[in-house]
Amino acid sequence: MTSVESWLATQRSHVRVSLFTAVGLSFGSGLLLIVQAYLMALIVDSVIFLGADLDSLWPFLWGLLAVFVVRSTLVFFTERAAFETAVTVKTRAREALFRRLQALGPLHASDVGAGTLASLVMEGIEALEDFYARYLPDAALAALVPAAFFVVVLPRDWFSAVVFLSTAPLIPLFMILIGKGAEHLNRRQWRKLAHLGGRLLDAIQGLTTLKILNATRREAGVIAQISDEYRRSTMSVLRVAFLSSMVLEFFASVSIAVVAVFIGFRLVGYLEWGTIDFRTGFFVLLLAPDFYRPLRNLGTRYHARLDAIGAAEGLVKYLEQPTPERDRAIHPIPDGPGFSIDFDQVSLSYSSGVSSLHMLTLNVTPGERLALVGPSGAGKSSVFNLLLRFADPESGSIRINGVDLEKIELDEWRRHIAWMPQRPHIFHGTLRDNVTLGFSDARQSDVDDAIEMAGASEFVSRLPDGLDTVVGERGQGLSGGQIQRIALARAFLRDAPLLLLDEATASLDEAAESGIGEAVDRLADGRTVLIIAHRLRTVRSADRIVVLDKGRIVESGIHDNLLHDNGLYAALAGHSRNRS
Amino acid sequence: MKTLGRLLVLGKGYAWWMVFGLFASLVTLVANLGLMAVSGWFIASMAIAGATGAAINYFTPAALIRAFAMLRTGGRYVDRLATHEATFRILGGLRLWFFDHLEPLAPARLQLARGGDLLSRIRADIDSLENFYARLLVPTAVAILGIAATGLFLQFYDPVLALVAVLGLLFAGFAVPYASWRLGARIGARRVEYDADLRTAIVDGIQGMGEIAAFGGEAQARRRIAELDARSVNAQRYLSKVRGLSEAVSSLAANITLWVGLLVAIPLVRTASLDGAELAMIALFLLAAFESVFPLPQAFALLGSTLTAARRLFEIVDSPLPVLDPANPTVHVSRYDLEFDDVGFSYAAGGNRALKRLSFRVNEGERIAILGSSGSGKTTIVNLLLRFWEYQAGNIRLGGCEIRDFRADDVRSRIAVVSQHSHLFNTTIRENLRIAVPDADQETLERACRIAGIHETITAKPNGYDTLVGEGGIRLSGGEARRLVVARAILRDTPVLVLDEPTEGLDSPTAASLMSMLDKATRGRTVLLITHKAADLAHVDRIVMLEAGTVTDTGTHQELLHRNPAYASLHDTLNTPVQA
Repeated sequence: MTSVESWLATQRSHVRVSLFTAVGLSFGSGLLLIVQAYLMALIVDSVIFLGADLDSLWPFLWGLLAVFVVRSTLVFFTERAAFETAVTVKTRAREALFRRLQALGPLHASDVGAGTLASLVMEGIEALEDFYARYLPDAALAALVPAAFFVVVLPRDWFSAVVFLSTAPLIPLFMILIGKGAEHLNRRQWRKLAHLGGRLLDAIQGLTTLKILNATRREAGVIAQISDEYRRSTMSVLRVAFLSSMVLEFFASVSIAVVAVFIGFRLVGYLEWGTIDFRTGFFVLLLAPDFYRPLRNLGTRYHARLDAIGAAEGLVKYLEQPTPERDRAIHPIPDGPGFSIDFDQVSLSYSSGVSSLHMLTLNVTPGERLALVGPSGAGKSSVFNLLLRFADPESGSIRINGVDLEKIELDEWRRHIAWMPQRPHIFHGTLRDNVTLGFSDARQSDVDDAIEMAGASEFVSRLPDGLDTVVGERGQGLSGGQIQRIALARAFLRDAPLLLLDEATASLDEAAESGIGEAVDRLADGRTVLIIAHRLRTVRSADRIVVLDKGRIVESGIHDNLLHDNGLYAALAGHSRNRS
Repeated sequence: MKTLGRLLVLGKGYAWWMVFGLFASLVTLVANLGLMAVSGWFIASMAIAGATGAAINYFTPAALIRAFAMLRTGGRYVDRLATHEATFRILGGLRLWFFDHLEPLAPARLQLARGGDLLSRIRADIDSLENFYARLLVPTAVAILGIAATGLFLQFYDPVLALVAVLGLLFAGFAVPYASWRLGARIGARRVEYDADLRTAIVDGIQGMGEIAAFGGEAQARRRIAELDARSVNAQRYLSKVRGLSEAVSSLAANITLWVGLLVAIPLVRTASLDGAELAMIALFLLAAFESVFPLPQAFALLGSTLTAARRLFEIVDSPLPVLDPANPTVHVSRYDLEFDDVGFSYAAGGNRALKRLSFRVNEGERIAILGSSGSGKTTIVNLLLRFWEYQAGNIRLGGCEIRDFRADDVRSRIAVVSQHSHLFNTTIRENLRIAVPDADQETLERACRIAGIHETITAKPNGYDTLVGEGGIRLSGGEARRLVVARAILRDTPVLVLDEPTEGLDSPTAASLMSMLDKATRGRTVLLITHKAADLAHVDRIVMLEAGTVTDTGTHQELLHRNPAYASLHDTLNTPVQA
């Protein structure tokens, strides 16, 4: 059993009761089919051969009606139980998957891509539904119902029972034989289909570019051609794949025919063996189609199994990965007049293999305002990622007031940091929710103060619902400057002693820029601050500038001295000055 | 109803495939009915013959039974092949149809498409249209014909019997699915909404994972997702109840039809207007007849979502064209200067004016930079120039001719654009280049790539020009992607070149080398550079400063540096752009 199948089986153990209920109810309905067939055979036989009229048949007719009503009731509750089975599995799996993604952290999420992960959490989990709600119950029934029918038919009509017995196992057997080959082909077709859909989406996304290049006609031709090729190759696969269902159909149909013909021959007395009466013969004939029905149903559910296995592959990859152990660290935050931060020969490389920091040694004293500067890829963000513990050093250590950061309790440590990323995320929800992120019981007055300090009160008051305006995806759009201010308000509300600030590079208009600059100054006041700086104005106000390149510190000092040294910093800063 | 009609018209080209599928389904249905009915009749007749000792021709019915069994097998196979063939053809056709209709609308009418959301919805919508023909139209037609055939057959024996069967079939096939559709419609729509909310929360939770972790909101985010999941599950539970109820009532309706059928038929045997064998036949016939309406509940369930999908697509397709081609277009133009003269434009009627009395001129062979912050109207200039939108006031002239007197394609064929939004398609480097000029030979491609300074980079890759660039060019670095776009623009060899923020998102050394490469590559052409970065202005002849949709100043770099403080302040940036 593969790890995927064993994972699917493990989930089954969480839903044993509802799954058993679904199978049990459905099996009960199958058993009632036998009673129903028996009553019908009895009624028809009595009318034809005993000349019975309606009056004498009422008890059986009422019995038949009662069976119908009970069976329908069972149908309803089977559906309910199957649904609850699937929901329990889905809810558990979604919870576990999301928890795992959180444990793997934001670097992993941006590595894989939010779109991919979101579809895994949504559609990937939904694909489990049919497996638990339909495939599993049907698989159990495909074994139980035919077995029960066989047991009932055997003592009454051994010949028909033998026909059932000899064809029934052939159906799943052929299904598996042909299915295995078809499964492989099928997967290839699905990949092609995904490719085709992707191509269309790509063309639509790039429609403006295609238009600029005057290439839309040609692309339409390509799409038509790919669609056509896809149809041809899929149909050649399906011609084979559908053979499996044809075999199934063939056995079911021919067995019914054989059973009917031979019952007829024995009834008329042409055959020496297996004498039978009409009532039994009719009873067996009534059961025949229902004998094969669960097997046929299972055939149509087969792709639910494939879908679930496909989806589970994606899930298991995450759920069975060991989580980084972090809860052991329980050291409280070390006391001090502020934080002194020591990077001691810290190296970091990301999972992609890209080396990011190389033996970095850096000391930040309490209350210092330190600007990090360097070209793209220099390792500036890595310093933040390490301090936020989105990543841990590969070698070397980071100490906070002398205590190893990895030994400090994580949540407690993060409570002491206010972080403003370069492109702050605005969550779908009210502005208030966005400001009070992780701090949902914040006092109104504190929220107001934070908004005020961030210089956001003016635009907030102009919004239709003020702080209760819904923003983010599908909400009110915010400008770049407004988003910066909301992120600042978040940081003000947190009121943490350590501030990590990644300055925005996107251009804002001048008024917005100086307004945000002032708010940042207010926020930085009295805290230890690390700023990834993109503006001369910011670096000029820093106590110290550290210039990074390729994961190492190449220079440090204050603006004027660094300019004078004429190194990388001068090149970065001078780029805009010397060109005039 | 109108939507339904338009869908039918769209499917007209595939009518024969659908008729073929319908015919095969019908054959299968009749074969199944025949198999069961003849079997019932056969064994009862044989039993009667056995009991009375009368002679009986058993060859014909026995042969019929075998024939129906084979027909049912083959019919199902052909049915599935035909339906799939039709589906693929329709799907391919619909994709092209939609692409063709979308093309003139881009990008003006697709502006509302935030992110990939609308685009992936379009794809899902097109896929769900497939349902309309294969799972809705054909099964409904089969059911109607099946019901008619059943009624016709039974009225040979007794009109009341026929009426009972037809009413039962209509009830199970149409009334029950309709009722369950009505019961589920409101909650079903709500469920879609709930799922969208859930998805938003999940995407938020992944995209904003960094902030959630840093601000200690992880448990809160999980709770939010769990709440939204539970809300969706409750809606699903209700829908599951409706589904269970509808299945139960449908199966009860089928059984009660059989029951009432017996009540009608049994007295007929007593009065000898029906013989015994016919009673057995009718009992089995009634059981099998309901197979024709089994697919209808699913068809009804799909109806709502399919119509919604169709309505959304039609809505996009029906959007008014943003730009109309003139009846007698200008074809020739002898020189390539550009002039904006008092141009006024707003995106929405009565909305904010994006451009106000905008005037500037670019002489043939001159390089002009348009400098402005985001929101100043820079991109609007490109949009109007490329005929993506219609300007409302003033004149835009190319070589002295009003651009709205050209066909839009003819304008675009004279202008090449390099922008940060230029799309790279998920295919090879070579194909991405050839999209611009499909018949370009390798030598031509290499020449363009050499000018763009990317030839060496490409040949250094293991697969050279056959390297796949990934979705949106993700496998290329920012600099490589931009240079590839430049190479593509150079390939087109147009007299006018628009560079729309060509260095956005690149770090400063990369940006600087791209700009100096562009300087060499574009000599002698009319160039319009659009930027907000002071560093890009090294190689232009004149700078037009844009603010709030109007020109505030024009001059050379030196002139502006001396007289315009806003211009001077733009040079206060430290060039340490976005870290990858």
